[in-house]
Amino acid sequence: MQSTSTKPNYGGDEVAALVLDFGSSSLRAGYAGDDTPKAIIPTSFGYLEEEAASNGDVSMGDASAPEGEQLQAPKPKAKLYIGQNGPSLWRRGMHVANPMNDGLIQNFDTVPPLINHALSEVMRCNAAEHPVLVTEAAWNTTANRERMAEIMFEEFQVPAFYIANTGVLNAFAAGKGSALVIDIGQSTASVTPVVDGFVLRKGLQHCALPQLVHAHARHLLTSPSSNRPGIQLLPHQLIASKMPVDVGVPPRFTLREDRIAGTTDSWRAWAEAHEVDEWIQSVGGCLVQGWNEQFAQQQGPRHYEFPTGYNNYFTGLERFAVGEQFFTHSTQLQASNPNLPKTIPALIMSSIGQTDLDLRQVLLGNVVLTGGGSLFAGFADRLATEMSRQFPHVKIHAPGNPTERRYGGWLGGSILASLGTFHQLWISKEEWQEHGKAIVSQRCK
Amino acid sequence: MAASAADVRSILAIPEPPVAGSSQPTKKPQGSERAKKPDGIPRELYALIGPHAPTLAAQFTKPRLKQKPNLGAGGRVKWEWRPFKNGARSDGLRLSHWAKAGTDTESEYQFAKYNVQGTPYVYTQDEYTRLLEDSSWTKEETDYLFNLVREYDGRFFVVHDRYEYPNGPRRSLEDLKERYFGVCRKLIRNRPWIGDEAGKKAVLDSLTFDKDREVARKNYVASLEHRTPEQIAEEDALYLELEKLKENERRFKKDRDELLRTLCGIESGLPDIHADEDGLAGAAFETKRKKKGVVGSVEPQTPVTPSANTVISLPQPQPKKTSAKSAAYDALHCIVRTEVDQTSSSTKAAHVPVHLRSYKVAQPKAALAPRVSQLLGELGISHTRLVMPTRDNLAKFAALIDAAQQLVEIKKAVDKHDQDIQTTKARLAALRGETVEEGDAPETPMDVDDGAADADGEGDGRAQSVMSTRSARSRRQGRRSMSVSSVDTAGGPNKRQKQR
Ligand SMILES: Nc1ncnc2c1ncn2[C@@H]1O[C@H](COP(=O)(O)OP(=O)(O)OP(=O)(O)O)[C@@H](O)[C@H]1O
Ligand SMILES: [Mg+2]
Repeated sequence: MQSTSTKPNYGGDEVAALVLDFGSSSLRAGYAGDDTPKAIIPTSFGYLEEEAASNGDVSMGDASAPEGEQLQAPKPKAKLYIGQNGPSLWRRGMHVANPMNDGLIQNFDTVPPLINHALSEVMRCNAAEHPVLVTEAAWNTTANRERMAEIMFEEFQVPAFYIANTGVLNAFAAGKGSALVIDIGQSTASVTPVVDGFVLRKGLQHCALPQLVHAHARHLLTSPSSNRPGIQLLPHQLIASKMPVDVGVPPRFTLREDRIAGTTDSWRAWAEAHEVDEWIQSVGGCLVQGWNEQFAQQQGPRHYEFPTGYNNYFTGLERFAVGEQFFTHSTQLQASNPNLPKTIPALIMSSIGQTDLDLRQVLLGNVVLTGGGSLFAGFADRLATEMSRQFPHVKIHAPGNPTERRYGGWLGGSILASLGTFHQLWISKEEWQEHGKAIVSQRCK
Repeated sequence: MAASAADVRSILAIPEPPVAGSSQPTKKPQGSERAKKPDGIPRELYALIGPHAPTLAAQFTKPRLKQKPNLGAGGRVKWEWRPFKNGARSDGLRLSHWAKAGTDTESEYQFAKYNVQGTPYVYTQDEYTRLLEDSSWTKEETDYLFNLVREYDGRFFVVHDRYEYPNGPRRSLEDLKERYFGVCRKLIRNRPWIGDEAGKKAVLDSLTFDKDREVARKNYVASLEHRTPEQIAEEDALYLELEKLKENERRFKKDRDELLRTLCGIESGLPDIHADEDGLAGAAFETKRKKKGVVGSVEPQTPVTPSANTVISLPQPQPKKTSAKSAAYDALHCIVRTEVDQTSSSTKAAHVPVHLRSYKVAQPKAALAPRVSQLLGELGISHTRLVMPTRDNLAKFAALIDAAQQLVEIKKAVDKHDQDIQTTKARLAALRGETVEEGDAPETPMDVDDGAADADGEGDGRAQSVMSTRSARSRRQGRRSMSVSSVDTAGGPNKRQKQR
């Protein structure tokens, strides 16, 4: 009580909680109260099967791949390679898998090793000594969150646990209790109405739009066009040497023939996706005022060099067509693909359409933009243009700091778990043992 | 980095200090050096130049940074990492945090006090059967609703979002609120109330919920939201047009007032002319007065300012004592006395010096003068010279000038309205091109009865229909209103304004 007078009154009380934010691209972990996660490790991991070549021909990480359970679940005895030196190091016969799909954890077998890596290897802390707050997507299932609680209590022996929604946390990170959170991640784009710290489930919208954008970019690169042949997306791990070549000239490089045979399809797919992402991040963009071919052309070309040494200028038309996929789908694409993921404006429209009339102004005045996919050059401005066309008074909160933007969910968790008033909400080990799984949904609404 | 100190020394030709690399914290020599450091030399500077400080520097008063606030005064505070008990928790979870050592370990957790729970309303089975039966709600569903409201602390948006009663009918947010508040009100009314009646009333008031009103309000909001962009654009255009009309009106009226004042007000003695620029009544009143004034008396009654160029002045008669005798005398000698308004407080304003009538020959307003003189010229009248400026003649002349001016004004108005009609027609044509049904809109109550339309035209929900019919009507009325406008100018736009 005495301390209330001297402490600044922001309501913080740090209990050294840990915050774990699972995303499709990376797992973020750190101490509550910090402003950036201490550990950011890729969610994808490599694994080697003990008995070689049981069913080798599998394609991983491909959005269109059917959900084969056996693909996502390496044999329990398999050796895992996790972290910065996990999938990115080439190993003979190493497969790559990702426990996440559609923004949810689908395969819990590898979750403990992933968490363990982040906490013990990178942060060097003992989870048994810290309360742990884990994030979840708003559409997470009850079974999933109970499983997560089970892992944390039974395997990591945490003293207290809480699972919070990324939508709500992103709103908190922006300092808002009510907001319309637009989150563009790696696998999913979602629009979440949050009111007083609760998600309005009826207005929740999400779809696999980022995967479509990725697929579009990949198609654009690999298929031959009028002014260049299709580009080979070979990762640097498979290239022994290369010669500098002029712009647009076929690359001159030598492959590491020794590695080709031992490269699995899943690793190859992962590496190629990585190349596509790199390309997107350096040259991709969005036109602020909507699609205009002429204007896109005028934006000028950008130079990019691939690991093979092939380099070229990519015209504004190509660069901005990638970001445009977030906002409009061409009619031919729509015709050829009946269940195309919704565009961002369509997601927003359906989300807003589901919310109460009285709430709309509140939500539209507190739009929070978050997620790595929103870091596309010009994305925030384009979103503002699109939204102001539909709604009269829109205010978009988009952190300019890329870390804050991309890890808003983690940051919100960091804020929440260091609030004095939050500490009554933790599910304690005692409660877990007493009430079992049911307590998770009772406490974390 | 490390070289810099030595470099500076060699540049400044300062001999090496006894210990080389003083920027590196070497333990013992550093300590002795620092001990010798004279006050008033910044540490960094001392590290650079060593003990060879210019003697002058040390003599100056020591430059000091702002005094550091001495917080806590009582020396070092020890903090310790220790577990605490949170009173807001029902279990024995002990989390740890940093706390001042020595403070009470078992003291109440400072954030526990924020854990306030609202008083939930509960009812017994007996109360339910006695008071709360409702044909559209079962007890189970009511229980479910009350649980949800308790769970989400009365956040009805969230309650409605999470409301999923198995096999129940679809409930709107208003349904839920109505049921919840209805039950609460009934409970309070029928339970013994501890406390005064005012408190009870306040609680009841806080629990009122008028579903019909809320629904109507929502519908109204919805209709606002569902306006098409065209409708919004149309509304905006109409609003602009209205503003333009109002502005024109204001200017027109101002001009006319000025005209009236010049013509018949001060000079010809119209009773006070309102300077206000609005009001249908005022305008009508003025018009009446003006006509009367022109035809009848032109005596100045309450002149506003005395004419500056009066030459002869008669003493002002005492206005109150105008007896019958003096009236007869005046009539005999053709004396016209000005009557001072009793209510006017300013004596100066009331004073009218004697003046020659010829000084008060009516002049057309400066802006209209060329056209008026042209007009009179066409009629073969010279308005610059009045041969016999008798009272009657002056009055007649003033009337003439006034009539001429009015004619000119009317002509102007006609031209303006003609042009307005042109633009409206063009707009109509454009609109017809897009939407066919609007052009031949059937007669609506709006057309028949202005008053009714005024009454319920306020709802913006209706605004759309009002808009379209209004534009149709204004087209049809175009001709008529034009002929009227110069006389009853303030009326039209005012009515239109109300319809909005
Ligand atoms: N500068 C950038 N420009 C474009 N895209 C970027 C940029 N930086 C990161 N990204 C993309 O952001 C994505 C990762 O975003 P984020 O970390 O929010 O996803 P996630 O939370 O892990 O995934 P999800 O929310 O789908 O589970 C990657 O696909 C990456 O390509
Ligand atoms: Mg995410």
